[in-house]
Amino acid sequence: MTTAATVIEINNFTMRFGDKTVIDDLSFDVKKGETFGFLGSNGSGKTTTMRALLGIYQPSAGELLINGKKFEPEDGKSLGYLPEERGLYKKESVIDVMTYFGQLKGLDKREAREWSLDYLKRVKLEDKAKSKVDKLSGGQQQKVQLGVTIMNDPDVLILDEPTKGFDPVNRRLLMDIIEAQRAKGATIVLITHDMSEVERLCNRLILLKDGNKAAYGTVPEVLAKFKKKNMDDVFLQVYGEDASMQEGEE
Amino acid sequence: MASGHNLGTVISFEFWRTIKKPSFWIATLSFPLMFAVIFGIVYYSSKSSSDSSQKLAEERFSIEYKDDSGVVLPIVAEKLQAKTIDNKQTGIEKVKSGQLDAFFYYPGDLGKKNIEVYGKDSGLFDNGKYSAVAEQMLKTSASATIANPKLIAVTQGAVSSDVTTYKKNGEVSAGWMAAIPPLLFLVFFYFTIAMLGNNLLNSTVEEKENRVTEMILTTLNPTVLIVGKLIATFLAGLVQAAVMITPAVAAYFILGAEAINLPNADMLSRLVVDPTAMTIGALLMIGGLMLFTGTLVAVGAIMPTAKEAGQYFGIAILLMFIPFYIIMLILSNPETLVVQIFTFFPYTAPVTALLRNAFGSLSVSHAAIIISMLIVLGTIIILLAVRLFRYGAMQYDSRLSLKFLNAKKR
Repeated sequence: MTTAATVIEINNFTMRFGDKTVIDDLSFDVKKGETFGFLGSNGSGKTTTMRALLGIYQPSAGELLINGKKFEPEDGKSLGYLPEERGLYKKESVIDVMTYFGQLKGLDKREAREWSLDYLKRVKLEDKAKSKVDKLSGGQQQKVQLGVTIMNDPDVLILDEPTKGFDPVNRRLLMDIIEAQRAKGATIVLITHDMSEVERLCNRLILLKDGNKAAYGTVPEVLAKFKKKNMDDVFLQVYGEDASMQEGEE
Repeated sequence: MASGHNLGTVISFEFWRTIKKPSFWIATLSFPLMFAVIFGIVYYSSKSSSDSSQKLAEERFSIEYKDDSGVVLPIVAEKLQAKTIDNKQTGIEKVKSGQLDAFFYYPGDLGKKNIEVYGKDSGLFDNGKYSAVAEQMLKTSASATIANPKLIAVTQGAVSSDVTTYKKNGEVSAGWMAAIPPLLFLVFFYFTIAMLGNNLLNSTVEEKENRVTEMILTTLNPTVLIVGKLIATFLAGLVQAAVMITPAVAAYFILGAEAINLPNADMLSRLVVDPTAMTIGALLMIGGLMLFTGTLVAVGAIMPTAKEAGQYFGIAILLMFIPFYIIMLILSNPETLVVQIFTFFPYTAPVTALLRNAFGSLSVSHAAIIISMLIVLGTIIILLAVRLFRYGAMQYDSRLSLKFLNAKKR
């Protein structure tokens, strides 16, 4: 039963592609206002779980709920999702793309445009507002995409590898933005391989291996269970040398 | 409410995105540009030829002739300052030596032999003046001989006929004047698919190529996105149509209908607008657009790149053109089996049925069946396209496989 404090609830979730079971009877929840780490090696099923949670995939079995109900695109107005596969309309201008997504997320056109210009100024891209997206560097495009993700001031923020491709300066900027959203009370799911980020930011975490829960709890609880001093060591113990070998859809 | 808001946002974004593309304007402007160039050439050549005719009429040159037919009247020849001579060879020699500009020989049996015209070379185009004058001398003489305006009109081919035909129910058939208005739906259908179909296909593949699908699917119902794209394509088609006909309309009002060979107001008033045929035409066009655009979106959702998707666009165009290979059969013998197959096969039905509707060989009951089929199938294809988009767009680098679709269908 969903309690008032539970924002994301996943019960007995199983996902099969043909004969292959990617996720097997997974259950966990994410509480309101917490930053939740979603960990696992490549191919462990993290992205698949998020896609099923967001209604992109239909689960083979189980129940995936946000605020007590199955996600519908209309609920996207209170949700921010930064997918692992980054992408924007490359031949359109930055400001047009941001305004478009702002409108889809429920802002009116003027509001979306003004917010976008403020954000671009904040991330030092104000001179790129009228540039085509494909004229921006990869890191600049990431910043724009992050802006699109948070522009509706979402209650739930799902960030899939948010720092991928960022240099240290931009990584810091991103962390500041995440902190700001957290301070506003947003619930954040952080899908990442960066264990230092997990230790620093996450209240609780889940570590997946072969579609199953290998660890689940607060960072201190997980460290205590594995008798390790840091999350890197936990990760290495769970995956061993397989961690760097696995590939494929997550 | 939210869906309505988002639909408007999608239509606006996709519409402006389409018409901001240089390729849209290249395709759109190439037609009126071509029209303007052709019109310019026709206008110039027509003016030049009129000027030349006037110049030729005013030009005087020395003529002698020998008439064995007895048709040429001396009074007509005198007006052209042409003199008769007795010996054909003498006339030819005089032209050869430059003493004479032209010599005409009218043989005894004009029905079997041609007029022989000899002239001083005045250049490829100006040399035509000799035969023109030679023939004019003969025609004027013949008309003067008949001395009856009615017979003159008959001999000069200035007679036309007004045809009245009757349908099986005894009503007067309006012919081309009734066929033209419903044919406009066929023209619009063709232009929309031929000029914007590829754009629609690419815009769907683009979501996948740009990796933007996940962002879209978590903010927007895919049905709203696809319907928005279809409506935006239709609106862009209207802009294209407006741009294309603007030069013709401008030329019509500035230069007049005759100058650009367009029907004048009198001809337009003779067009017969049959409400039934027009309604059927509009519904066939809408059904056809639903089927073809839905199919193109579905193909776009399956294909990983615009290049691969483009090959399938060619097939769609081919299906639209196939009925024209049997157009004579469609018009003259619509009950044959081949025409019936083309009429009811979904991808050839829009063009075949629109043609048959325009030319009055499509019954209302058959039209109802075809319209229902197109709209139902078009709706199914659009819904399928939405599903394929939802899942196909997640397979970024490869075609959508049935195995993948089965694993993910809702």
